[in-house]
Amino acid sequence: MTKLFLRFALLGVSVAQVACAGNFPPPSERLSSAEAASRSAREMGAEKDPKAALYLKYANEQIDQSKALIAVGENRRADEILSRASADAELALQLAKEQSMRAAAKEALDKLKALRAGK
Amino acid sequence: MRTLTKSLVLGLLGSAALFVAGCGAALPPKELLDARSAYKTATEGPAAKESLVELHGAKQALDSAELAFLEKGDGQETVDRSYIAVRKAEFASAAARTAVAAREKKEAEDEAQRAQIDALKKTQAELANAKNDLSATRTDLTKTKEALEREAAARAEAEKRAAMALADLQKIAAVKKDDRGMVITLSGGVLFRTDKADLLPPAMVQLNQVAEALVRNNPDARIQVEGHTDNQGQAARNDELSKQRAESVATYLKGRGIAADRVTAVGRGSSKPVADNTSVEGRALNRRVEIVVEPPKESK
Repeated sequence: MTKLFLRFALLGVSVAQVACAGNFPPPSERLSSAEAASRSAREMGAEKDPKAALYLKYANEQIDQSKALIAVGENRRADEILSRASADAELALQLAKEQSMRAAAKEALDKLKALRAGK
Repeated sequence: MRTLTKSLVLGLLGSAALFVAGCGAALPPKELLDARSAYKTATEGPAAKESLVELHGAKQALDSAELAFLEKGDGQETVDRSYIAVRKAEFASAAARTAVAAREKKEAEDEAQRAQIDALKKTQAELANAKNDLSATRTDLTKTKEALEREAAARAEAEKRAAMALADLQKIAAVKKDDRGMVITLSGGVLFRTDKADLLPPAMVQLNQVAEALVRNNPDARIQVEGHTDNQGQAARNDELSKQRAESVATYLKGRGIAADRVTAVGRGSSKPVADNTSVEGRALNRRVEIVVEPPKESK
């Protein structure tokens, strides 16, 4: 009797877990968004700047991690990790933009100095 | 009523104490502390001026993390939201630095454009000056050329006049050219009696022709009349006689239209013979008056 009760109890917990997982759909949109941000950062040259490259690495690792979680139905956790991944990718993109703009500003200043020097 | 109020206050304080005691048990996780620090750093940097929208996003992310901590303690949700808040704060700072760099780039480009325009204007001004200089040089060159042409014409005219004068004078006297200029030599025997300085009538006729030729052909030339004797007699007397004879000729020439300030007279005595004084012919040649017409000064 006790064993039978325990079996029903475990079955109930499992059903509850599946039901919970089933309530949270796979975060496809957030995954796409995170992947797009990661791609943009890479295209902007994030891999060339050490700091941006680090955040891009974090983003990609977390995107991979979330994909694995989605595969086993851990959609809620995958969604949370994708939020982190997006924040990392967006930061990597901004850092890459900063480096690009700094380089352009330096080039403009060098050109100005050369003009002033009469070269 | 007072008892009720007192009980209410005590109750509220007790609840607050219980709340504080409850929170005290859950200290903020490191991630939340990092998020607070990152946001503070962002607000103290250029983001406060340059990237207000991004900074506002960072504040919302931090508030979300704080709320999660208040509601659910230091669990995974608080850690996740803090993690995101840190990124958002750094994002705001990076956006601000990007904006600053963009502004520096624009300012440098604008300045460079102004410098290029200034350089272009300077070059144009220099070109205009060079054109003006060239024009002035051309004008000077034209003037110089015209002056040279005038000078050459004047020189040709002077040479022509000199040639005419020489030709005229050669008809009436011995004329030669030496380093003093054109020298007209008149024989002393024709001009004066022995030991006298008064001009003979034939001499006057000859001098009239000389004066006429000098006035016509050498109107501006300076003329020096030099008297010479042979070596007979005393040298002092010869010097005096030669001087008197030169002055006689000079005075006569002045009377024939040659400006007085152009004519001078000197006596050379027997110091500059042109022939041998031991013969009669030689002494006759040495007794003479020379009219030296100085060459015209080079025009400058």
